[in-house]
Amino acid sequence: MKDDDEPSAAEQAFAGRVRRAIRDELAADKALMLKTPTAPAPRVPRQTPTGMTCSVRRSSTPVNASPVIALERVSLAFEQPVLEDVSLEIYSGETMVIVGESGTGKSTILKLILRLLTPDTGRVLIKGRDIVTLSFDEAMLVRQQMGMVFQGAALFDSMSVFENVAYPLREHTSMTDDEIEARVRQKLEYVDLHPDHVMNLLPSELSGGMKKRVGIARGLANNPEIMLYDEPTSGLDPLTTGTITRLIMKLQRELGVTSVVVSHDIRSANRMGSYIAVVAEERIVFCGTPEEMAASEDRYIQDFLGGL
Amino acid sequence: MATLLFERLNTQAKLAVFAVQERAVLAWNAIRFMFVRPFYAADVMEQMDSIGVGSLFIVVLTGFFTGMVLALQSKASLAQFGETAIIGRLVTASMIRELGPVLAGLMVAGRVGSGIAAEIGSMRVTEQIDALNTLGTDPIKKLVTPRLIALLVMMPVLTIVNDAVGVIGGNLISTVFVRVPSSVYWRGVWDQIAIDGFTWRYLPNDFIQGLAKPFVFGGIIAITACYHGLNTTGGTEGVGQSTTRTVVVASVSILVVDYFMTQLFIGALNLQ
Repeated sequence: MKDDDEPSAAEQAFAGRVRRAIRDELAADKALMLKTPTAPAPRVPRQTPTGMTCSVRRSSTPVNASPVIALERVSLAFEQPVLEDVSLEIYSGETMVIVGESGTGKSTILKLILRLLTPDTGRVLIKGRDIVTLSFDEAMLVRQQMGMVFQGAALFDSMSVFENVAYPLREHTSMTDDEIEARVRQKLEYVDLHPDHVMNLLPSELSGGMKKRVGIARGLANNPEIMLYDEPTSGLDPLTTGTITRLIMKLQRELGVTSVVVSHDIRSANRMGSYIAVVAEERIVFCGTPEEMAASEDRYIQDFLGGL
Repeated sequence: MATLLFERLNTQAKLAVFAVQERAVLAWNAIRFMFVRPFYAADVMEQMDSIGVGSLFIVVLTGFFTGMVLALQSKASLAQFGETAIIGRLVTASMIRELGPVLAGLMVAGRVGSGIAAEIGSMRVTEQIDALNTLGTDPIKKLVTPRLIALLVMMPVLTIVNDAVGVIGGNLISTVFVRVPSSVYWRGVWDQIAIDGFTWRYLPNDFIQGLAKPFVFGGIIAITACYHGLNTTGGTEGVGQSTTRTVVVASVSILVVDYFMTQLFIGALNLQ
């Protein structure tokens, strides 16, 4: 288990890569100013072979284990293509961080897993079950096995913190009021909030970081097997970003939930992801561990790391 | 040029039909969920309080002044024929059949419709609707059905209050400015209620018309507001647009539906 506060080997490699990228950029700018005829390197992502599956598993994962979440050759278009031929497999207890530039369809992958959207072609499997063909009511049941943390926390404005966290329990369980209160207290304590101080507050009275934590507590209330995070650290100051990142890592470590994190914060991604998938031009262009990503010679990946 | 025009007209017509279809589907689902567990009774009561009790003051104010102005305007016309004694009948007929339901409908569309669209629209743009979905709750069942039930129940109640206050306002002006004794005024009120006959012996036909309209108007306001709220896009600016659209569409729909309902009732109940 690595220390949360000490930079890991991957982070050191990453920092070195950033420094090199900045040096290259400065050299390129200087060359441009001197009107040296150096053609700028094309910033085009490497195309993945059609049908390639982003499937990564630890050596300890049993060979015959089936992925908890799988996207099979998924394509989706609205007015323009959003995802094209995307395949992804995430095994039990793993954390996949999906990174990419804005508007590349990262959040769409989460919506597909939640079946808030259905793909034009391809299949989405949750624990081996194709959710694309499910009825609306059946999809509701599948969603109850997942916890979702939204970018803006998406707490219900009209409800107190207690009611927000208790909501999934009141909706889908037959727990008594005392049991619900005990569970809400437990989850709030788990995300480092003092239940007595925050339970009766309204979301509008919370800071950004506190909202995110309450959002995580609500996602955890039902003890889900899968946690999904949409930009969990966006809009937060560096200190709070670190706190939320550590909190997500703690959940994975102690509860062993399978997680999918969509983020553009590459530093946090490196810390919390067992695996990282980079989405660009509607496809997955890289798939591997943070170390593999830092060591990648791919120009786009290097630019991506350097650009952040 | 002409082809382009026809293409645009065609697209617009299709969009209009699609919007009607979407509203119909929303209404059908909202009604269907009234009979499916879980029932959000607390939400229904909260909405009834917010919609009914919250709109009471504005409806009383509207009804009172409408009744008063009706009596005042009728004074000159009726005095020409020496028929000021029937002023009670005129105010009652106008209030119960038309002005009560329509004005209460327009007031509620403005106050409640805009509020519902803004609330649900804000929930949409801050991902709270998505959060409901991911927590395994159907947003239509949780948000639309309670508001629909509340409006279907409270609109007729508000209209009854509006009618009553309007008739009392008319009485005030008739007594003070038109010099019609209260007893004559209230005799006219009763004559008007009785003259169109009764259904099932005790239910005045005027009341049927006067209560069926706000029931339908309540449905129009709820579905229009929820539809625009749920389909909000474009952040806070989009919330503003949804609110405006709701008030415009609901108000116009109320006036158009009012005409056709009146024609239907005149034919069906053989009213005067």
